[in-house]
Amino acid sequence: MEETPRRAGPVARLGTWVALVVMCFGAVLMVYPYAYAVGGSLKTRLEFSTDKPAVIPPRYQPSTLMKQFGSGEPDAEYLGILKQWPPLRNYRDAVVYGRIDRYLGNSFLYAVLMTLVSLFFNVIAAYAFARMRFPGRDFLFGMLLSTMMIPHAVLLIPQFLVVQQLGLVDHLLGVMLPGFAGAFGIFLLRQFFLNIPAELENAAFIDGCNRWGVLWRILVPVSKPALITLGVFSFMGAWNSFEWPLVVISNEDLYPFAVGLSLFRDQNGQDWPRVLAAAAMGSTPLILVFYAAQKFLVGGISLSGMKAQ
Amino acid sequence: MTKRPRQEWIGYAYIAPAFGLALLFSFFSMGVSLYTSLHEWDAFVGRGRFVGLENYQRNLFGQDSIFWLALRNTSLYVVLVVVGMLCTALPLALLCRRARYLQGLFRTLYFIPSITPGVVVALIFYQIFGVWGKLLDNAATALPAIAIMAIWSGAGYNMLLFLAGLNEIPQDFYDAARIDGAGAWDEFRHVTVPLLRNTVVFVMVMTIIGAYQVFTSVYVMTQGGPERSTEVLAFNIFMNAFSVAGQMGYASACAWLLFVVIGVFVLIQMRLYGSKRVYDE
Repeated sequence: MEETPRRAGPVARLGTWVALVVMCFGAVLMVYPYAYAVGGSLKTRLEFSTDKPAVIPPRYQPSTLMKQFGSGEPDAEYLGILKQWPPLRNYRDAVVYGRIDRYLGNSFLYAVLMTLVSLFFNVIAAYAFARMRFPGRDFLFGMLLSTMMIPHAVLLIPQFLVVQQLGLVDHLLGVMLPGFAGAFGIFLLRQFFLNIPAELENAAFIDGCNRWGVLWRILVPVSKPALITLGVFSFMGAWNSFEWPLVVISNEDLYPFAVGLSLFRDQNGQDWPRVLAAAAMGSTPLILVFYAAQKFLVGGISLSGMKAQ
Repeated sequence: MTKRPRQEWIGYAYIAPAFGLALLFSFFSMGVSLYTSLHEWDAFVGRGRFVGLENYQRNLFGQDSIFWLALRNTSLYVVLVVVGMLCTALPLALLCRRARYLQGLFRTLYFIPSITPGVVVALIFYQIFGVWGKLLDNAATALPAIAIMAIWSGAGYNMLLFLAGLNEIPQDFYDAARIDGAGAWDEFRHVTVPLLRNTVVFVMVMTIIGAYQVFTSVYVMTQGGPERSTEVLAFNIFMNAFSVAGQMGYASACAWLLFVVIGVFVLIQMRLYGSKRVYDE
């Protein structure tokens, strides 16, 4: 940004530095809970109960390391603790005792399927709303948009009753079905399609392509940024959703990560390092997905006011 | 132009899956909710006894009803979150622009809470609030603590929205103000604030609607306690519908009352700012 400094004087420069310092302080506040959680996930159970505020597990703190390794042999008790609690022990325990791997697998399946299916349904609906002429099109589109106004708290009970009537309680399909299409995604994709010049398609029509072919060969490849943005947000929404799967699924084998983590915490009230390890395992995939797709997302997020949850 | 036919009936096939799902899970579901709210509903049997408006009456005037308590708690929470959000996200956006360096890093770091599962955030803050002095064990501080967590997790996301809004303000406006001899405060007051109004309204409305439905953090951190100080509407609805037998109609009535409250807020906001155009589109 080539925004010219307001007054090139020292006051303006001071302002920039003050802003920078405040933002850095804010960044520390943002990162602290994660550092605390990751640190906690590396602690032994004793360390966690005796030294709660510590971010770095006491056995790895510089002062301890200096004392133990600085002059000669570390004492036997300390070596025993190190041997008994290898760094990733809590992560292994979260898998062995909490079946976090199972929940992560469920979440992955559920998020991937929901993303692919919802993208497919949203793309074809958005294409029809953007390009085709059929009676009642705008009215139907308005109806679809109006569903965005309904708070999900109101839909929780009736959607459960519908899923129950369909016999899908305790099925992953029951969790996914209401999310297989969404007004917001259709709205966003329709906007994107409307901004693509029609000449692009006309050339393909002349070559004998039909609607379906044009959509998948011309429009979809051009809309990659919008599709990735929408896909990532749909994935995150599915991965983070909690209340809905909590209601639909009661079979522990089918729990997605968020519900499974909550259950694991209830069963392991005394073993927080394990719970925090499980929490870390379930949060990192999302941060990686976000990081990988970031260059597509930054514009999309600011433009659309999208929200994952 | 093209030699496409005038009407393309095939369009109905393209919108059928999405529209069918919307019919079933939005429109039909709203009907189901209304129907359920007029019955004493047993979810396990799958039918109920018609009781008219009794469920609404019990929510509003019943001796054992905690509707008003939950509404008061939820409203207090909403006020705390909205005020806190505006007092953090907007200044952060202004500072982020002013900082000039490391903007990309700040955007990423501040956004990470938005992509962290709500359950994970709640579990971490459950521990942090414990370390900081048992905020969740005290009836006076539990709700504000949950609000602080919500502000922490939403501030970065809203900062991005404000940054987008700020970027839409043409630089000419600032140049013109400067030529007229405006100081930094005048610029903020007479250029930034009025032109950012749509973004502010959008953020407030979305925050209010979201905060009125707070559930996960209460479920994970306090379960409505201590002394019912964090008993909120969405949690109350969930418990009545899915943990108490035969109260699904009662919970549905409560959900409709929550809908009315949220709807009123949206309408008030819209009228207050006299703005039909909320955000892009």
